[in-house]
Amino acid sequence: MLMMVLNHTLDHSLREFAHWLSTTTLADFMTGWWEWPIAESLHFIGLSMLIGTVGLFDLRLMGLAKRIPLSALHRLIPFGIAGFVINMLTGICFLTNAANQYMYNPAFHLKILSMAIAGINVTLFYTTMFKKVQTLGPGEDAPLPARIIGGVSLTCWLSVIACGRLLTFYRPPAFHWCFWC
Amino acid sequence: MFAFPFILILHAWGMGIIAGGNAAIDLRILGFAPRVPLSAMAKFYPVMWFGFVINAISGFLLLMGYPTKALTNPVFYLKLLCIAAGMVLMSRLRRRVVPEKKPASPQGKVMAALSLIVWAGAIVSGRLLAYTCKYLLGDLQC
Repeated sequence: MLMMVLNHTLDHSLREFAHWLSTTTLADFMTGWWEWPIAESLHFIGLSMLIGTVGLFDLRLMGLAKRIPLSALHRLIPFGIAGFVINMLTGICFLTNAANQYMYNPAFHLKILSMAIAGINVTLFYTTMFKKVQTLGPGEDAPLPARIIGGVSLTCWLSVIACGRLLTFYRPPAFHWCFWC
Repeated sequence: MFAFPFILILHAWGMGIIAGGNAAIDLRILGFAPRVPLSAMAKFYPVMWFGFVINAISGFLLLMGYPTKALTNPVFYLKLLCIAAGMVLMSRLRRRVVPEKKPASPQGKVMAALSLIVWAGAIVSGRLLAYTCKYLLGDLQC
């Protein structure tokens, strides 16, 4: 009973949030003929920046190209963060303009879940492994927990890309999924 | 039924690997992350070739799905041109710049900058294919 009430309240506030998003200037801005295609192009460039730098770092953690010291390769990570920021911003543009297309879309839920796991994973990396890994010289293996973190990171980001690509195929109202309703 | 979305996923993965990997190497050649030994980045080339093969195959399958859609669109040829230029630059950089011990020559840096531009061009033109097509299949308009 309590769950039903909570779910109902959550659904109600999410609906109101979606409605509010659709009334914003940003939602209006995204309705022109060029805004959406340009934002999508930027979203794909951001994706490549992220996977190209963070992905290489993950591969090095996992044992590829061991001659590269991890601390040196880490200097490319800001480009990955820049890619992530581009994608957050363009992602917000998409969400604002078509909130219902995402909110009730299972591919979107999985995408957010994958990003959340990646977020926990990267927090674990910087709190437990970063210092150890920074001292590693050329040819040295990362410790096992760091290798696992690298594998989880790569898997999460590939999953984020896959879910992003699947969004189109699970769009409401043709497909409707809502675990909180 | 499941094939088309799956091929699209592969195509996006391959894109991230090849464009992103090239961008990382280009940035290193341009002077970022200077402590990364450039010659050691050669280890990433097989990964990028893997991305290229994935995308050549998945791209061919996507083309077979909607041949008219791509072939009647000039943007598609722009995309192919960008990819061809990107691949030529990638192998040239691999032969002339990546093995060098000293910092890259000005020509090497120009090639790296061009590489960044053409891979971004390939991504943008690929994305715009969905918006610029005229015919979907046969005479059927987009």
